[in-house]
Amino acid sequence: MNCEVCQLKELEVEHFEIREVLRCILHTIVFHRALGLVRPKDVDLELFEITYVQCGDVELEKKIDEKIDQFISWVEKHPNKKSQICLSFYEVKSKQPSWFTNKTERLYWEQWYANLNVTQQPKQHSSKSHLTKVVVDPGESANEERSSRRAMVEASLREVLFQIIKFVNEKKDHVPPISEGVIYFPYEITMPRKFQ
Amino acid sequence: MEMDRESGKLEQIVSQFRSKILHVVLDSRVPSLHRHQQQDSLSLSRVRKTDKWFNLVLGDRPPALENLNFSLRNLLDPMVIDIILVRHASCSSSVDNLYSPSAAAAAAGPSTETVIERWVVQYDCPRVFASPSGADASVSYKKIYKKCILLLRSLYTQMRLLPAYRIFRQLSSLNQTYNFDIVYKVSSFSHPFSREEEDGMKEYSFAPVEALPGCLCVSVTYHATLSDFNLEPLVSLPPKIITDYVGSPTTDPMRSFPSSERGAHATSFPFRGLRPPSSAPFQRPHSWSSGFHRGIPPTKTQSLAGSPPVYRTSPKPYDITSPPTDLYGNRIQNHRVSILQQATAYDEYKLSPPFSPSASPSTPTYLSGANPLLTRHCSETAPVTIPLPPTGRSNRYLSPNSSDPSRHSLPPLSPRSSKHDTSSQESPSGIRSYRKIEALRAGESPSGLSNLYSAPKVVRDSKDDSGRFSGLLSSSGSPRIGFSRSSSRLSFQDDMDDCEFSCPFDVDDVDVSDSSSQNTENKRSSEFTAQSNLVGKKSQDAAVGILVHMLRTAPPLRQDSSCYSTRSLRAEYEGGVGIASGFFMPRKTADALEELNSYREMKDLLLSKSGTQVRKEGMK
Repeated sequence: MNCEVCQLKELEVEHFEIREVLRCILHTIVFHRALGLVRPKDVDLELFEITYVQCGDVELEKKIDEKIDQFISWVEKHPNKKSQICLSFYEVKSKQPSWFTNKTERLYWEQWYANLNVTQQPKQHSSKSHLTKVVVDPGESANEERSSRRAMVEASLREVLFQIIKFVNEKKDHVPPISEGVIYFPYEITMPRKFQ
Repeated sequence: MEMDRESGKLEQIVSQFRSKILHVVLDSRVPSLHRHQQQDSLSLSRVRKTDKWFNLVLGDRPPALENLNFSLRNLLDPMVIDIILVRHASCSSSVDNLYSPSAAAAAAGPSTETVIERWVVQYDCPRVFASPSGADASVSYKKIYKKCILLLRSLYTQMRLLPAYRIFRQLSSLNQTYNFDIVYKVSSFSHPFSREEEDGMKEYSFAPVEALPGCLCVSVTYHATLSDFNLEPLVSLPPKIITDYVGSPTTDPMRSFPSSERGAHATSFPFRGLRPPSSAPFQRPHSWSSGFHRGIPPTKTQSLAGSPPVYRTSPKPYDITSPPTDLYGNRIQNHRVSILQQATAYDEYKLSPPFSPSASPSTPTYLSGANPLLTRHCSETAPVTIPLPPTGRSNRYLSPNSSDPSRHSLPPLSPRSSKHDTSSQESPSGIRSYRKIEALRAGESPSGLSNLYSAPKVVRDSKDDSGRFSGLLSSSGSPRIGFSRSSSRLSFQDDMDDCEFSCPFDVDDVDVSDSSSQNTENKRSSEFTAQSNLVGKKSQDAAVGILVHMLRTAPPLRQDSSCYSTRSLRAEYEGGVGIASGFFMPRKTADALEELNSYREMKDLLLSKSGTQVRKEGMK
């Protein structure tokens, strides 16, 4: 079975947006891979006018939040760097037992890469206001800039979600059969090599 | 045999797949169906048989859906789900629209319908086919089933990303009402879009699921943006507490309320009945009116109507009722949905909690309460809301605390409307149930509206009798505070009318010396009126008026001349406001002079007391 890989479109986000963006992306992917009995839970993002869907599993939500925390702490230590977070789905195969090993093997059948470029917010140009004759309210222009930037991020996030939907629709054959009583396929979230 | 069994399985998968898609689409687009499902909180916890299909728990299927399944049972026919945006035109602002849905519908003008989304689910199957058999078939059906699950997951996610989801959420919000509605139409055929309609629409097709011998195809055509449709919330004025209304103890009763600079003809005299001052457009909202005025210029809040709808509606400081525009949606839907659906929807209407008879009495109070139809977004009037103090403060406003004269900022309630404390708390739920009733118009029969609108008619009929008016409200269980205030205002006015209020000097029908009368609730309002006029800014004119009244009401001397004495007059006077008796006809000049002197003394006493009289009602 081959491993399908999906590289999601890169998103330029600010530090405070990381949590919401990653929650949205990771939960959306997992919802499409939680093929057991689920009660979907709609979640509205606070920063953007987007509603995504969770599969409603509490343990899963905790795990995802933990991984996002780890990601954020890494980003704080390495600012202004592009980073990835990888969500992989695998099957557990037991290896041929031998004297030395009785391991199980993970066969990855799908990997999703969310690419984030975490930027720092530019400083306000408020110091220049007193030099100009015409009194310009720096807050207004900053607000406009912020809202247009926010709209761009929202549009990009929406594109990423549509990208997920498209991928899920087009590639279905590699998905393993659903096991009885299992809600979602085994998964892992990693932060692979970081690059500039 | 085996082939039949296998084809039966396939048919079941396809049929359930279509039902599930229909459920997902309607649940994410039609607010009424969505709310109906959400109301049943107990049902949310359990998993139904229908939920297990495709491993997606959605809750109860609306009964209409079951009938649709029946009517569209030919699986080879496509299932076309049209999501239709109904935009209501501006309406005339009339009090009658409150109580007469047909008038409201007639006055509201034509509405515009636009298909904003079209979902097409089709099982494409060639006429001649060879279905798989044996083990292959079993594996095949498991794969088909898995792929259907995946498709449904992505469809569920996509429903929340398309533009129509935002307006669905707006309509689902209980804090706001809008000038539009969403209805649906399900059929096995589709009218092709015109070129105009196609402009601005995009199409998305989900990857077909191979379900041999055919394949399941799902596609959607949708408007890429809904900003061109001018979808607006209906705006109302924020609630305003009016303290200087006619009859307020803090207001000089002889004072007129000039509004000539605004071109209005205000009067300090209460008018009989409930005629709104239609010929005199009041700028200042009166708490005792029905709340609806013509000719009031639009305020700042109305200018908000031009702004695009907000995606996430925050709770507003004021309530906005939903106009009876649902009638439109309902009427339109009758043309849209199948007869079976209509009948089943009606059954649903009758059985579901919001339409229980106990809920309907609350609606009239809501209708004519705080923010009724005043909140119509119309060009010719400015809606006025009857102020709604918060529930927590309701006691303060509604229970006339006689021990604190300064708290008489509002007229006392009419006798039966004193049940405000519990009932006002119910009113939000009354509003919610009313809004649910409004919202559930989609897909439901017009006869379902009869429960809703019969109650307002009852209110209107009882309007002429102010005494029963408030009684009706309180017996309904949820009188709004503003509304009960207006009813008490009516009883207050009637009391004033009973006092033959015909000139500025005739103030009140005073009888505060009779302590037994205070026990009677009917006297309370007139007593309050008398006291409010006596105490505080009592003018000389008022004193003279009292005197004249005494003169007029004094019994003839010949009936009981022996009762007349200066002493008795004095005693009565000292007890409170005196009532003249035996004023006329001393037989001798000396008697006349004596009487004149006594009256002089009375007058002096009255005048001296006018500045120092303590409010007796504080003691009671």
